[in-house]
Amino acid sequence: MDLTWPEKPTLIGTKVPRLDGLAKASGRAKYPSDQLPEGTLFAVMLYSPHAHAKIKTLDVKPAQGMPGVKGVVAIAKEGATLRYQGDDVAAVAAVTEEQARDAARAIKVEYEVLPHVVTEPQAMAPGAPEIVKGGNVRKGRSQDKGKADEELAKADVVVEGKYALPVITHVCLEPHGLTAKWEAADKLTVWSSTQAVQVVAGELAEAFQIPVANVTVLTDYMGGGFGSKFGADVWGRTAAELAKSTGKPVKLFLDRIQEHLAAGNRPSATGTLKLGASKDGKLVGLIAETHGTGGSRGGSNFPLPYVYDVPASSRSHSDVFVNGGGARAMRAPGHPQGCALMEAAMDDLAEKLGIDPVQLRLMNLPPNDPRTPIYEAEVKIGAELIGWTANRKPRGKNGDGPIRKGYGVALHQWGGGGTRDKKVSCTITADGTVELKSATQDLGTGIRTVLAIIAAEVLGLKPTDVVSNIGNSTFPPGQASGGSTTTASMAPPCLDAATKARDALFAKIAPALGATPADLSLKGGRLLIEGKPSISWKDACRKLGTASISEMGATPEGLASTGVGGCQFAEVVVDVETGVVRVKKIVAVQDSGLIIDRLTWDSQVYGGGIMGLNYGLFEERIMDPTTGVMLNPDMELYKLAGATDVPEIVLHAYEPDDQKARGVIGIGEPPTIGTAAAIGNAVSNAIGVRVPEWPMSPRNVLNALAAASKDQEGKA
Amino acid sequence: MRKHDPKNGEEPGGASRRDFLRGSGLAAASAVLTGAATTALDEARAADDGPKVLSGEVEITLKVNGEDRKTTVEPRSTLLDTLRNRLDVTGPKRVCDRASCGACTAIVDGDPVYSCTTLAVTCQGKTIETVESFDVGEQGVPHAFHQNDGLMCGYCTPGFVTACKALLDKNPNPTLDEVRRGLDGNICRCGTYIGVLQAALDAAKAMKGA
Ligand code: FES
Ligand code: FES
Repeated sequence: MDLTWPEKPTLIGTKVPRLDGLAKASGRAKYPSDQLPEGTLFAVMLYSPHAHAKIKTLDVKPAQGMPGVKGVVAIAKEGATLRYQGDDVAAVAAVTEEQARDAARAIKVEYEVLPHVVTEPQAMAPGAPEIVKGGNVRKGRSQDKGKADEELAKADVVVEGKYALPVITHVCLEPHGLTAKWEAADKLTVWSSTQAVQVVAGELAEAFQIPVANVTVLTDYMGGGFGSKFGADVWGRTAAELAKSTGKPVKLFLDRIQEHLAAGNRPSATGTLKLGASKDGKLVGLIAETHGTGGSRGGSNFPLPYVYDVPASSRSHSDVFVNGGGARAMRAPGHPQGCALMEAAMDDLAEKLGIDPVQLRLMNLPPNDPRTPIYEAEVKIGAELIGWTANRKPRGKNGDGPIRKGYGVALHQWGGGGTRDKKVSCTITADGTVELKSATQDLGTGIRTVLAIIAAEVLGLKPTDVVSNIGNSTFPPGQASGGSTTTASMAPPCLDAATKARDALFAKIAPALGATPADLSLKGGRLLIEGKPSISWKDACRKLGTASISEMGATPEGLASTGVGGCQFAEVVVDVETGVVRVKKIVAVQDSGLIIDRLTWDSQVYGGGIMGLNYGLFEERIMDPTTGVMLNPDMELYKLAGATDVPEIVLHAYEPDDQKARGVIGIGEPPTIGTAAAIGNAVSNAIGVRVPEWPMSPRNVLNALAAASKDQEGKA
Repeated sequence: MRKHDPKNGEEPGGASRRDFLRGSGLAAASAVLTGAATTALDEARAADDGPKVLSGEVEITLKVNGEDRKTTVEPRSTLLDTLRNRLDVTGPKRVCDRASCGACTAIVDGDPVYSCTTLAVTCQGKTIETVESFDVGEQGVPHAFHQNDGLMCGYCTPGFVTACKALLDKNPNPTLDEVRRGLDGNICRCGTYIGVLQAALDAAKAMKGA
């Protein structure tokens, strides 16, 4: 019989506190950056103070003689070009961190400072210094569907708008890095803050030319990654190298400044969008010219058109290269940008058409798409929860006082499916222990607990009865945690492993109980024979004697799926005199198939909304065109929401039976996609003009108001 | 160094972000000056004796979670780095390292401080409590965070739990608004605030039951 999710689960879908929650809340959880093996040396990075420079000379000798210093490595070579402030130069390991910092400062580097471009306008200006061969702007091939220009020429209504979102950084609270310890000349253990223990193991094995089986990467806990922590990185390899040369464990985690500069960012997005519709609100065409910067790397493209059915579209995108740290995947890569641009244009179109923005969206969902009825249901729920019809006034009709209220909406989509080659093992021993093992890792998403819930469901136990061991690269192959794929990849093999282990247990102990395996079942910590409670779980396991059960789960068909969506609504108030925006309420309606742990699901959706609020209101990497440095590589001027900034957030998990029947789908990324878009639309609704640039900071809001009043004066 | 007492301040519940700054070692740092380390240390103990220079390494004893811990620090060593790097007390986390995020919060003589900007040498003779010393039972703050899922990656969590404990010690009946302000010196990137706020309110209730 095909394996299916239990029809009447007792645990799946309920709110289960995470297994490691108390360890984390009591400070007992040891993160990679907390590891301090006996004799650990502290390593500190030296990185480029310049946006663009050539290393004329690099002399690490002065550092070698400094107190406490045990090892120094030059990462960059003389003659090498450093492409951004924060680019790696050298590293020092010393007995204390203070000594390592002094020594890093003592390294003598002579730089030949080269001309830089750190902002897109700077990079795109005529005559700008070329920082990559072939020019700073790389135009991609235009993606065309139909004849958008002809459709727009015929359209009843066309809006044209320019919208922009800045580069933001991941700001993982635990910096990138690892603690490395050589157990033998060819045997390495590292505690790495990573989203992919097995990727890190592979990279380190490769770097040191040792078998991957000799590398153990441990990540019991990690303090946030959001897409930026998939590899060992230069820093990790450097730590391992220093550990090798000094014969001591070495701990190397970036400081906050380099973390902002070098450890990844979400590319910016700027676009001129021309969107046309018939007068009854049917979209006819979109022409979009967009660009963005992924720093010294490309990768700034994003999906557009987004969500809606646009019969004809023409889209061209250019990667702009600047002297900034390279972009890395960041929670739903590309989608928040595509969503914000599309939804801004949709709102501006609704305004021009005089159609309610919610209606315009419903009218333009793709016909004959299975997602469309789901969106329709979700938008209806969301509109009700925010009080759209009762509260929302048309754009600019929100009073004349200094404080204006507004409402906005945005729709989003995501994949979230899994891979099919991952494994979970389930071991049952005679003392009643159930142990799961897999080389995946918990980023805070709760996968450790999710796996335990599944096994407990199958075995009639409590989740806390299950030992859920992950975060070890030597365990059975586990999913790298990116793309919201962890749960969809790991839950099916976990169900399979637990089910096989249960069946194997039944087969082993049935004869001793005078029963057949088919007579046996498990519930509430007891073994049932023909449905009647018999001995306890522990006593049942005791019948294994000296044997134990160990089963490996694979991925059967039909337990996971891909493709989710949802909508978000925002209520804001804007002070038009100061430009300060406060978000009062966020409504998030989200589908994601079968939910395993409703408590951690809620946290993901809340957290996604709050991260989206940061993108909507506060975050931006501010580069100084003159000096080429980042002006806010910290946590006071790089703003993130605190407790007083967080509004009421209303969640709705959209999970009718047909959604549950789809099986598990990831939830990490989708709920952060639409928030900034909805906030932007709410601000425009409140103040009557489009604020074309994110974040909705006082500066950007006041600029938009000033531009609008200048327009007015011009007309008067 | 001015001793900050939130009970007499304008904030009814706990320390605001600005109070945190005032109470932290940034203020103390400006009072550290020239001389031999050991002498200087004695003078630092005597306090407010005028400027002294501390340099080199000094042996100090810190009372951490009820235990006297002897260690060697430099005058510039922060309380945070001393706890984490030298004493293996890793509950407090290093995140911003400059008094903006609260991940390093410890309770010194009853007041929450950013240990990343408090010098270890200024903490001698004071009572230092970190998250590891808190009651992990049902009446404790960690339990309330656990039950309300007021944590995800959990890296900010020790700081929030500590700030919350310090708040509730001073104001056992905070309103939601007071909780928000009491925890406003802390930042969570995963966005756990909804669970955190509920945890603080629940912990206030549970502590009264104790
Ligand atoms: S690490 Fe001390 S406040 Fe951020
Ligand atoms: S739980 Fe990850 S930063 Fe707060």
